[in-house]
Amino acid sequence: MAKRYGLVIDLDRCTGCQTCNVACKMEHNLDGFSGIRVDTVGGPHRDTPAGEYPNLSMYYLPVLCMHCSQPPCLPSCPTEAIYQRKDGIVLIDEEKCNGCQECLEACPYGVLVYDTQKNKAWKCNLCAHRVDEGLEPFCVLCCETEAMFFGDISDPSAQLSQLARKRKAYALQPESGAEPAVRYCPPRPRLR
Amino acid sequence: MKPTEELVRTVCHTGCGMACGLLAHVKDGVLTKIEPADFPDPRYRHICARGLATMKLVYHPERLKYPLKRLGERGEGKWQRISWEEALETIATRLKEIGQQHGSRSLMWATSGMGALDMTYASFAGCCEGTFASLVGFGDSAGPCGDLASFGNLWAEGYLVNFEKPALCVIWGSNPVETQPFGIRRIRDARENGARMVVIDPRFTATAAKADEYIPIRTGTDGALALGMMHVVLGKGLHDPSFIKDYTVGPFLVNNRTGLYVRESDVVSGGSSEKYTVWDTAAGEARAHDAPGVIPALTGGYRVGNIDCRPSFELLVEAVRGYPPEKVSEITGVPAATIKRLALDYAQHRPVASYRGMGMQRTFHGDLAFRAVNTLAAITGNLHLVGSRLFVYETYASLYGIRGCKFVPILNLYNAIAKGDPYPIKALWVAKHNMVNQLPNANLITRELLPQLDFIVVADLFMNASAQYADIVLPACTFFEQSDLILPCIGVPGAPNYFQLQNKVIEPLYECKPDPEILKELARRMGLGDYFEKSAEQVIELMLSSGYAAEAGITVERLKKGPVQAKASNVPIFFTPSGRMEFYSEKLVELGQQLPCYLEPLESVRSPLANKYPLTFLTTHTRYRTHSTLANVGWLTELDPEPVLEINPVDAKARDIQDGDIVCAFNDRGKMKLKARVHQGISPGVVNVTQGWWPEHFLEGNHQDLTHSVINPAQEIIYEPNSALYDVLVEIEKVRRD
Repeated sequence: MAKRYGLVIDLDRCTGCQTCNVACKMEHNLDGFSGIRVDTVGGPHRDTPAGEYPNLSMYYLPVLCMHCSQPPCLPSCPTEAIYQRKDGIVLIDEEKCNGCQECLEACPYGVLVYDTQKNKAWKCNLCAHRVDEGLEPFCVLCCETEAMFFGDISDPSAQLSQLARKRKAYALQPESGAEPAVRYCPPRPRLR
Repeated sequence: MKPTEELVRTVCHTGCGMACGLLAHVKDGVLTKIEPADFPDPRYRHICARGLATMKLVYHPERLKYPLKRLGERGEGKWQRISWEEALETIATRLKEIGQQHGSRSLMWATSGMGALDMTYASFAGCCEGTFASLVGFGDSAGPCGDLASFGNLWAEGYLVNFEKPALCVIWGSNPVETQPFGIRRIRDARENGARMVVIDPRFTATAAKADEYIPIRTGTDGALALGMMHVVLGKGLHDPSFIKDYTVGPFLVNNRTGLYVRESDVVSGGSSEKYTVWDTAAGEARAHDAPGVIPALTGGYRVGNIDCRPSFELLVEAVRGYPPEKVSEITGVPAATIKRLALDYAQHRPVASYRGMGMQRTFHGDLAFRAVNTLAAITGNLHLVGSRLFVYETYASLYGIRGCKFVPILNLYNAIAKGDPYPIKALWVAKHNMVNQLPNANLITRELLPQLDFIVVADLFMNASAQYADIVLPACTFFEQSDLILPCIGVPGAPNYFQLQNKVIEPLYECKPDPEILKELARRMGLGDYFEKSAEQVIELMLSSGYAAEAGITVERLKKGPVQAKASNVPIFFTPSGRMEFYSEKLVELGQQLPCYLEPLESVRSPLANKYPLTFLTTHTRYRTHSTLANVGWLTELDPEPVLEINPVDAKARDIQDGDIVCAFNDRGKMKLKARVHQGISPGVVNVTQGWWPEHFLEGNHQDLTHSVINPAQEIIYEPNSALYDVLVEIEKVRRD
């Protein structure tokens, strides 16, 4: 079976530290945007909770390109700049991208960004250049709380697959039909 | 030609208290990337968003590039580029003049930094017979006062948290998820091993969001909560008598009249004046505590000769009777049932790791809060009994010339300038910290104190709030541009216990110079001898050979190969005068604070001042900056673009404030204007702005315009007074709707 690279992210461990966000900017030399954003699942602003004081809840949700099996961005691109490698990594060919931003609209996860400086679409490439050298994506390497796991999600014996099973990991918006390769372990229930 | 890439191991040196290893990538002399570096123990490989963002300090377009001298008035912002030659000549001349006119102690150096070479300033101050500011009181000295009184150890978190497998983690007013993210891994591991996690805080922090139980509390009342829990523990007899007898001063007799411990010499002729006494229930008489076969009493009253006395534990029990849960509930806002349940957990689900961080000690009586939690941990047997020592002090004490300087706590600087007490400070050199941005009561500093100084030098990376008031500004280097020795972080939970070299990664940019280089050239002009001629490596080698046991065998050569673990030094468990955990502190008898007690915050919401200023004002620490460092780095300001005043909807509604409105926070000391963030994650009655923003980030004023510099006398007796930055009352009003 073909490799299918993806991530399992443990939301119980994630503290919203934003190290992944900054790591992405460093690895890809970005200013003003990042390939991974960390959403607050809670109140209306970053780092604010839901509920009424003091009965509150909040957790963090890192969102990046899901490297979907059926990426909705791919057919949306009029210049065929978006393509998928055999290992599942979805890439944008910068040469072919004309900056039309159709893909930004097509993505159910809102993870593509428009680089105004270059007039190109940009998104996480799962650090394909590192993966090809046998390294993990830079955000995974830097993850402060060791909440991100990279590997072949099609391999049931892989560490991340085992974790996904044990923790009943889920995909965001499964109804999109995109079959994302990023899965989330839910926060654990509070101990009484 | 393909650029050559080099990897250099260095240490993140921004002042969070950790010392994460960094692996820097350098191409053709340019720093291109950093990543977390390995340690012999791979669990210590770690980096955070701030650590990564330090790279952006290096090539920041606003970096100071050459020396400047002031034109026009201080703070006016008019500068002229000058040569290093002129800068150094001017400084040397002025320091000599001022020293001759006002005495050498009028020259003060105030510098921070985690590196051993950062103390070169103290050597320099010593050689000038000047003064050196101790900066712990910037907000971090009250807890250490409490720990020094309790354990004889300034940074004693290890006693309270270093358990292999805690059954319960209680986080008292601390937010390690944001402030010391390295440490949260331990709490996470404990949780994943089944420990419950409880967070006590007036804010629902990112740490509270991870907790099994969040206990909201009125600010400044954590000590009362601990006392109320002790009331429950002692009332139910759930304390640990053998632990109290063996490891605390509990059995030591205290003279009813003087409040001092009864020494052996007080009861036996020829007895030792250093030995404490206990009531030996076997012999029915007072004996030295270490007399063979002694079975000490913990309770009761005794007459020994003509001295009426009681064991200090009896005094504690009596004092704690004043804190029944119902009364403590009224003080803290924590329900009595919660106080009782948490107290039972402390006694019955051992070991309990008590994380105290620095939050709750930023109230006026923060030392008492630490002492109360320490005592709760001690009487329930929840202390980790392995002594550790922050041996930085021994290392520093061996530094050249340092004995010539006088240390002045930073909060005493106010009176030093205004009243000449203890020294008439007339010249101030600020480096490696942003004093004007971070000291409380900024208006007092900038309007009344700094104008009384004859000469101010600031060495920094940027034209920050402090540099704006300087007469001479010197362009300093980032830690990537200079070598240093980073000592092990002891006392910081989870931080690496290693000696590490901060290797120079790139050459200094522009005309910037590392601080020791600046001092070397100044020393030549002031005739201070050859010591400052030594290279960084030579100084590090000298420090490592200072004779302190933990450093034995550690050399620069070894450190070049990687971090070296600090040896477990053979030290006693506690460093108090009695050698035991001291919940009863003799030297505080004069203030009536010999036992932990609860005192209202200085600016209490229950004081008359609250009629005018009803809201407690916090300036908490955030993951997006380390103090004032990184406030100008886009990678982080993209995430946290501006200061906001956090306010609960209840308080906002009462003032017709909506989310996003421009508001003014004010009190008698000053005001600041900024945007309001109305949200549920903060207690009603409390407002917050994360600290470290620069004045230019506010629409008007800044957070330090509201804080105060009132000195706590107990802290002066124990160690160093703290800035009670979270013990401040303000009122908020709407300025306009945006």
